[in-house]
Amino acid sequence: MAIVINRREFLSRSSMSAAGLMLGSGMTDPGSGKKPDYSFDIMNEVMKYRKIDSHIHVLLSPAATAEMQIDFADRLGIEKLVISRPVVKQDGPHQDFRDSNDMMIKAMKQFPDRFIAQFTLHPKYTKESLEEIKRCVDQGMVGAKVYYQVKINDPLYYPIIEKMIDLKMITLMHSHCQLGLGGYRMKYDTRLNPNTSIPEDFIEVAKRYPEAMIQFAHICGGGDWEYECKAFKDYPNIFVDVSGSNNESNAINYAIRYLGEDRIFFGSDNCYYQSVSKILAADLTEVQRKKIFFGNYNNVLRKGGYNVD
Amino acid sequence: MATMLIDINAYVGHWPFKQLRHNTCPDLLKVMNRFGVDISVISNLNGVFYKDTQAANEELFNEIRSDKRFKNRFIPFAILNPIYAGWQNDLEICTTRFGMKGICLHPLYHDYEITDPACVELVKRARDLGLIVTFTHRIVDARQRSWMDIPKEWSLKDIMPIIREVPDAKYFMVNAANSMVVNDDDTDLLRRTNILIDTSGRNLTNLGEMILRLGKDKFAMGTHFPILDYLGGILRIESLRENEADGMTKQLLRSGNAGRVLSL
Repeated sequence: MAIVINRREFLSRSSMSAAGLMLGSGMTDPGSGKKPDYSFDIMNEVMKYRKIDSHIHVLLSPAATAEMQIDFADRLGIEKLVISRPVVKQDGPHQDFRDSNDMMIKAMKQFPDRFIAQFTLHPKYTKESLEEIKRCVDQGMVGAKVYYQVKINDPLYYPIIEKMIDLKMITLMHSHCQLGLGGYRMKYDTRLNPNTSIPEDFIEVAKRYPEAMIQFAHICGGGDWEYECKAFKDYPNIFVDVSGSNNESNAINYAIRYLGEDRIFFGSDNCYYQSVSKILAADLTEVQRKKIFFGNYNNVLRKGGYNVD
Repeated sequence: MATMLIDINAYVGHWPFKQLRHNTCPDLLKVMNRFGVDISVISNLNGVFYKDTQAANEELFNEIRSDKRFKNRFIPFAILNPIYAGWQNDLEICTTRFGMKGICLHPLYHDYEITDPACVELVKRARDLGLIVTFTHRIVDARQRSWMDIPKEWSLKDIMPIIREVPDAKYFMVNAANSMVVNDDDTDLLRRTNILIDTSGRNLTNLGEMILRLGKDKFAMGTHFPILDYLGGILRIESLRENEADGMTKQLLRSGNAGRVLSL
């Protein structure tokens, strides 16, 4: 039998029943802990903020279509999506990366008002990668999304990063920070690719290239976000996106404490609901919320004239 | 008229590997008021790590009765360990003196199999007493775990064995963080079971489809707070479109199903 509880009915019944839950007989005072009689209109709050999803993928599998991402974005009021399709094979031919970029170009042209497409590449193909950057930028792509074939601080990346500095574009690198990666933590076999970039790798390249803009991916994607935020405190050209499925409470406030309010980007990494809820639920000012949802990433785009407003 | 919301999955207490905020009754009540939640089912996380879990249940009982504001807003559940001495006595105290309406079991942290005879016995006793039995896929994401924390997490199929053993108990399954796929026989069993799955879990991306598969009487709002952010579970419900969940179904998810199983 379905029961729909009306709050007024509940409150009229609850003074005895709820007290009886806890304290047995004799407690009849309903207490003064009544909830304020209003509802938090979460969907109104969701739709109040302009949003740029700084980290989302399209067509990583056949089912993950562009239309599906747009549908989730519409549901949650996400205006712009920075899409990419990284190649996850450790050693693929350059053509694999070019094919991925072609798919993103096609998606971007299908939804030009919604998608900002990032290109991907393998830095071991230096010449081909630099040519690919030119091709992709000519097609309107903005930013690089790179993966774990090579660590971000590998010298193979130097010409790529120098090119990205020229273009005033950001580089989003897949990353991790957990047991199984880096130093003594390698003794824990968590089956992660050992070439995955860790915070120390980002710091090394950020120090070498202070003009570069480097985005550490998904601090809420399972990695130790406390470690990550503390590590990046003194490196203003390292940005983080708070995408990922692990929407731990306090992650956003912790990130602001160590990184400030200007280096944090909203992102989903295709984890839609929690990507929005964690920012709405955090103890933030309106200005901070707007910055994280939209302003910070737009300011990065603005450096190269790619801003969306 | 404000909407009624019941959270079937929240906590007070400490997590040894990370500082939690809003993890006391006063602070949790403020968050509930901020976001419009009427009632929270809570257990004391300290019980996950105390060898003698009853100390955590006593802490919870004492905290709730310390302030008259709490008794209408919190429903306490006990954490019990069926392979630790004295659990039978603890169960009696929690139900008769503390008025607790359910129990939370943590086999992964307390190091026993979910079909351990002691666990089956406890679930049967809970059934006979009309108590709800809560299991969770995980408390925290194992990927970011401390070096001292356990590496293992569950999925729905890991919880099914106890449901097969005691199909007529009442269950909460919370923080659906991993696979919710089970075979057809288990899907049928779930449809017949008096179980609520809370909406805090990351694996409920397509809640509308899950409602079609298992039934609109099988889900209830949950936050898994203060481990997870307070609004994920609420957002999964409120963002459902009319063709996925009509107004009546949303009311069931918000509070109706929880009220039924909790006998409010």
